[in-house]
Amino acid sequence: MSLNNILTNWSRYRKGAEEGGFHEYEHQWGMVVDLNKCIGCNACSVACYAENNLPVVGETRYAKSQFMSWMRIERYWDEPDIEPYQATPSANVDVWIETNPPAAKTDVKPSMPGSYAKGLLEPGGQGFEERVGVYATKGEAQDFGASFLPMMCQQCHAATCEPVCPVAATYHTPDGLNAQVYNRCIGSRYCSNNCPYRLRYFNFWSYYEDAWPEPLHMQLNPDLAVRDKGVMEKCTFCVQRIRVAKDEAKMENRKVRDGEFATACVQTCPTGALVFGDMQDPESKVSKLWRFHQVEQGKTKQNKQNKELRGYRILEGLNTDPSVMYLERVREV
Amino acid sequence: MSGNNVNRRDFLKILGWGGVGVAVAGCDRPTTVTLEEGKEEVVAYLQPEEYVIPGVGVWFASTCQQCPAGCAVHGRVREGRVLKMEGNPDSPINYGKLCQMGQAGLQGHYNPDRLKKPLLRKGGTLTEVSWEEAMTQLDQKVGPASGLNGERFAWFTGTVSGHQSVLLSAHLAAVGSKNHFVHEVINDAVARAVNQDMLGEAAPRYLLDQARVVLSFGADFVGTGASPVYFANTYAKFRTATPRGVLIQVEPKMTLTGGSADLWVAIRPGTEGVLALGIAKHLVSQGVDASGLPESLRTLIAGHDADKVSKITGVPPDRIARIAALLKDRSPSLVLAGASAEGHAHGYQSVAAIMLLNVLLGNVGKTIVPSGASQFPQMEAKAGNTRDLLAFADAADKKALDVVFFHGANPVYTAPAALGLAEKIKSIPFKVAFSCFPDETAMSADLVLPILSAHEDWGTHMGVYQPEQKSISIQQPLMEPLYPDTKGFGDLVLTMLKARKAAGFEGFEDYYAYLKSAFAALPDSVKGDAVSDEDFWGKTLQKGIVKVTTVGGSLSAKAVEINLPEFKEDSARPYHLVPSARLGMWDGRHANLPWLQEAPDQISKVVWTSWVEVHPQTAAKLGVKEGDFIKVASEHGAVEAQVYIYKGVHPDVIAVPMGQGHEEYGRYAKGRGVNPLKVLAPVADAKTGELALYATRVTAAHVGRRELLVKLMGNETQLGRKMVATVKADVFNRTEGGKDVA
Amino acid sequence: MKHVSEKDINEEIKWAQINTDILQSLQNPRKAYWVAVAVCIAMLACAVVAEVYQYQNGLGVADLNRPHMWGLYIATFIFWIGMSHSGTLLSAILHIVHADWRKPIYRFAEAMTTFSLMTAGFFPMIHLGRMWNLYWVIPYVTDRGIWPNFRSPLVWDAFAITTYLTSSAVFLFIGMIPDLAICRDNSTGWRKKLYSVLSLGWQGTDRQWRNFRKTYMLMACFLIPLAVSVHSIVSSDFAMSIMPGWHVTSFPPYFVAGALYSGCASIITLFIILRYFFRWEEYMTMAIHEKICKLTFAIAMVWTYLNLVEFGATWYGHDPVAKEVLISKFVGPFAPFFWAMLFFGSVLPFALAFEKSRRNLPWMFVVSLLLNVGMWLERWMIVGPTLSHAYGPESWNFLWPSIVQWAIVFGSFGWFGLLFLIFVKVVPAVSMYEVKEMVFHRRREANPELAAQFHRRITDAQSVTAKPGIEGA
Repeated sequence: MSLNNILTNWSRYRKGAEEGGFHEYEHQWGMVVDLNKCIGCNACSVACYAENNLPVVGETRYAKSQFMSWMRIERYWDEPDIEPYQATPSANVDVWIETNPPAAKTDVKPSMPGSYAKGLLEPGGQGFEERVGVYATKGEAQDFGASFLPMMCQQCHAATCEPVCPVAATYHTPDGLNAQVYNRCIGSRYCSNNCPYRLRYFNFWSYYEDAWPEPLHMQLNPDLAVRDKGVMEKCTFCVQRIRVAKDEAKMENRKVRDGEFATACVQTCPTGALVFGDMQDPESKVSKLWRFHQVEQGKTKQNKQNKELRGYRILEGLNTDPSVMYLERVREV
Repeated sequence: MSGNNVNRRDFLKILGWGGVGVAVAGCDRPTTVTLEEGKEEVVAYLQPEEYVIPGVGVWFASTCQQCPAGCAVHGRVREGRVLKMEGNPDSPINYGKLCQMGQAGLQGHYNPDRLKKPLLRKGGTLTEVSWEEAMTQLDQKVGPASGLNGERFAWFTGTVSGHQSVLLSAHLAAVGSKNHFVHEVINDAVARAVNQDMLGEAAPRYLLDQARVVLSFGADFVGTGASPVYFANTYAKFRTATPRGVLIQVEPKMTLTGGSADLWVAIRPGTEGVLALGIAKHLVSQGVDASGLPESLRTLIAGHDADKVSKITGVPPDRIARIAALLKDRSPSLVLAGASAEGHAHGYQSVAAIMLLNVLLGNVGKTIVPSGASQFPQMEAKAGNTRDLLAFADAADKKALDVVFFHGANPVYTAPAALGLAEKIKSIPFKVAFSCFPDETAMSADLVLPILSAHEDWGTHMGVYQPEQKSISIQQPLMEPLYPDTKGFGDLVLTMLKARKAAGFEGFEDYYAYLKSAFAALPDSVKGDAVSDEDFWGKTLQKGIVKVTTVGGSLSAKAVEINLPEFKEDSARPYHLVPSARLGMWDGRHANLPWLQEAPDQISKVVWTSWVEVHPQTAAKLGVKEGDFIKVASEHGAVEAQVYIYKGVHPDVIAVPMGQGHEEYGRYAKGRGVNPLKVLAPVADAKTGELALYATRVTAAHVGRRELLVKLMGNETQLGRKMVATVKADVFNRTEGGKDVA
Repeated sequence: MKHVSEKDINEEIKWAQINTDILQSLQNPRKAYWVAVAVCIAMLACAVVAEVYQYQNGLGVADLNRPHMWGLYIATFIFWIGMSHSGTLLSAILHIVHADWRKPIYRFAEAMTTFSLMTAGFFPMIHLGRMWNLYWVIPYVTDRGIWPNFRSPLVWDAFAITTYLTSSAVFLFIGMIPDLAICRDNSTGWRKKLYSVLSLGWQGTDRQWRNFRKTYMLMACFLIPLAVSVHSIVSSDFAMSIMPGWHVTSFPPYFVAGALYSGCASIITLFIILRYFFRWEEYMTMAIHEKICKLTFAIAMVWTYLNLVEFGATWYGHDPVAKEVLISKFVGPFAPFFWAMLFFGSVLPFALAFEKSRRNLPWMFVVSLLLNVGMWLERWMIVGPTLSHAYGPESWNFLWPSIVQWAIVFGSFGWFGLLFLIFVKVVPAVSMYEVKEMVFHRRREANPELAAQFHRRITDAQSVTAKPGIEGA
């Protein structure tokens, strides 16, 4: 790309958040994660290992948090307050349940003394929606089960990782994907530092040397590379599958049908908690869901007509404009 | 393609993937279009080259062998290698989905530690031998000329079904033996016994999606249930129904299912039955009609008032009231019993008390419906249990066995040390292991026959849990055998049958031929629109599933006598040991799959090792922090592992997950973590004789060592960030109730 | 109160004396020098071994991880960049404001600038996953037409640092030309050849002097904004990011202050070393020492103030996560280092505020080193805690840097020392001609009569006095 190509492109792709979204995508792949259905079973994560040649790093490297699971399931105990540096929750706190529309302002959750979340819930807390709600039944967090959160690259449209890469190894594709060019990456690791979700994984070692002892290497997917040390990588929304589907559609000169393919995680999810599709296609499941939950791309703060709808995007207030919408976990309290 | 030096003649002989197989798909997508232009059907072929088109992945139908659920799968084959497993959308069991174990099946197939040659024990040590030598040995010891007394011969297997089951029965008959031990650590044998007595059917179908409230006493149906993927799907329906279903989980240690519960209740192990009766008391007092019950039961129920129950179970009275209220208000409901309720000396009684709730609430017929039998009972899964393990240990102890064949089970690993099985089976003169891996049992056998992996072999399967539409699922090779010196299990059994001149098996060159003719012999009702046997066979291989009709099936609802023992404390061993099973490691059979070792435990998020789950209060009492090594000792042994502290266990409970602590089983499993099964007390359920997994009392002590506990979460809570937001169910019902959004 | 009347320099000193005193520093080294060289090489060797090992095995050996993608390498990189600011401050800024007390000490300060930049330059390479592709950051023209991402602060770094390095090197060289000429005239053998080349045929003619002055002043003016911008740009590596505790508006001035601070501290260190080993008490007088110390103290206070500004802004601001990071600095695993930083950076400088301790050179030597320790910790405290406690609670962790990182950081000091040792033996570490100017001016101030005479003389015959550099040589 020539210099002016860069200039034009970046003004185009920067449109993301500021100007109500970028509308010239040929496709705009998006996802929905329904936390009401998710049981945190890990099938998606392992499917990702199988599909994307993710190396198994072993216990010692895992201990150093040098693992490579593009799709990880975080598990939280739904307790708003915790003493600093205490791995286990403090005893007997009320469980915080969001209520939309905001109940009386008096219900605004006070900040906890000594808590890291201190001031978090003060109105206008930067990067956060004001959280208004009520205390649920007196009980301990575990009484309401665990909170599972599948986290894959959020494919942000105002991605914080893109502008900081010195060599433009990560950039925005016309598909609305947040692409990572392995061959261009020089490993400055700025992108990962700047990803608020910490969803970018770096090859600290030549993992392939011991991840696939013969004949395990025969399982490697020839559709994508095996990465060597010094390169950043992350979830690609199974771009290799996207390519195949697009080529097929082109050969049969038609548009890609909704649901004719899915990413490995979505394909295998036993509860169907994950939905994948093209948000440019108004009839696709994803677009329907986004519409129904009144979540729009290119917005820092959603102003829903119906405040009760479950759709939200993680750390939306940071203005990263993710392509993954989460649907709130539901609990009978 | 290294690691495979089979010439074509060879693999045609052993019927590797080239032998037969039908592509269900072209172009990397499980559909029924085919390779060329996606037009005409792909038929069975004998020249694999034709279907090895560089760069094109072809999907073949097969069956997952990772657990007894028998999910139908599609394997993506490209350039002669199987690369990825996906569910078969036609399957009524898993409708196109797979769990993590199914995904990781590939690593069993490509496992670097697979057995490549037959092993024979010579002078105490196992040494590689040729198949000829192995088979002659087999013939000498078990062959017709061996003069083996059939009574003293036994098969020891895991859950078997389909034609393998048929062959096994035939072989036993041919040898003249009745000893078939079917062993699974993760089973629902006690519940089956109770169902048999109360409902007249061992394995009825549970309509989760019909229930508005599910009260589960430790039934981990989405995790280690009879069919995890099937129940995960019905769970999703149950959660999205209007009004949204409520899940209440009562168990001593939070299982994967418990993690998704609306209300999770910690209970003192062994007191589940008492709580059930307590709830029953509440229901009756709320005016639920109990007149149908016999007098004795009604008095029993009347005797369980909230305070008493609360004292025994440790569940606060208001909780009991709440649960009862939910059950009463939201009908129909469904009450399930799981491992933690079954695994006691009085397991049968507890489960009976739990099932009584279903009778009381009139769920039988609504959310519990008859399953009936398939039209081919001989092919249905022989569900495993632990009773057979005890029986086998007993037989070995009595020196009642001369020859034992092991397949799909690893008793040396799963048996509690107290049974002394590892020692006892030494007294069995000739032990043969049909195995892919050098597991504990194989390594203690006298003859080890390396069999083809699940992705290289032929077979048919029926899942242990059959939904409304019963089906037979076909297992076909997804690629050539990696190692020339491995043989198919079916082929081996067939060979032995032919050696015994068993009637009806002479004609077949190999297991494939047998299967093919067996399918040809199926009634037309099954064959559907197939024009010829060949056509039917082709279609079968392509679809991977044969749907079969159900016969009979009816449920009675009669209560059985319940007598729960007095619950007593053990001051010497204050804690209950919970050997928790988990989706992933299962009973330890998947410890050699690196993907599953590195996939964090769903609740604690620990990887690659064993850990001990301790309640904060208990931890304070013991003075331990996360990462401290703690010694958990029962009468019969002790294990040492790192502490993980959280409130998902009852304060009286010390939970240690199953799966690790292998002494053999390859580089990924060997010498990693600890095996809680080893320290179990050999207590059996009084009524059914099942091993009581949850009945062991232990002490716990800090051993002073400490290491970083290797796990995923850096911080366990959200710190008020909106990571996982929670909304009330009534809001959900209001906004999304009855709407099919997408 | 003797020191009040104390002079920056003794104006009675003979110019020949100056030459001999300074030039003796170029004489063949004593044993102590070779020991120092050996030590530096040993330190450097540690770094080289560690780096080779890391190059072979990947950055995993450094115990970097997710989220700790950046570690001591970046922290130390900033530290060395900061170190480089002192030279510019002394020679350029003080030159422009005509603070002539700088004259005896600016030369080695400038050298320090260049050398610390040369050290800093290594760290981005060491830090990179694929260092052999470092040049991709530079916008060179290729037929592939691939450009770097001009939005990325790292690219700005590349520009800023290379520019700063070249210009400060040029500045250093230009400033040396007249002295090199003196060396040429006083040396034989290879040195003669070397200096002949380097001194670019300097004759000290009137015209040469005029051009020289112009160029020097020009470079000075050019260098000042550059120096300020360099560290502002380095600060934007953090300030431009989205991470809590990094996107702080006050970072650019904060970084520049920190830079000048560590720079001055290290000037004190080197000042004392040179004064002691080359017996330059005549030139590096206590009066000058006093002045640097006061300057350092002033900058320390500015730095402290900017710290407080940052804390306050975070504490009363509406970014709860940034606040968490701040709290974690106070109480978290980094706390000991954080408090050490505050002590060395804000409390210890008061040792410079008091006459008595200020005049105690051994003590000052220790203090100046500790100040730099504090400054190094500051850089680490910027990089580390934010990565430990960012937005996602899942990724919270703390990983102690491995021996490999420490070895490379340690070795970088060896490299710097080595360069400096070579420098003091090759070129005069004190500017002779500027000292002479200084002396000359002081004489005139002290003796108006002489000044009048001088004026008369230059009106008569220009050539006589036009070569102050040669007189007495």
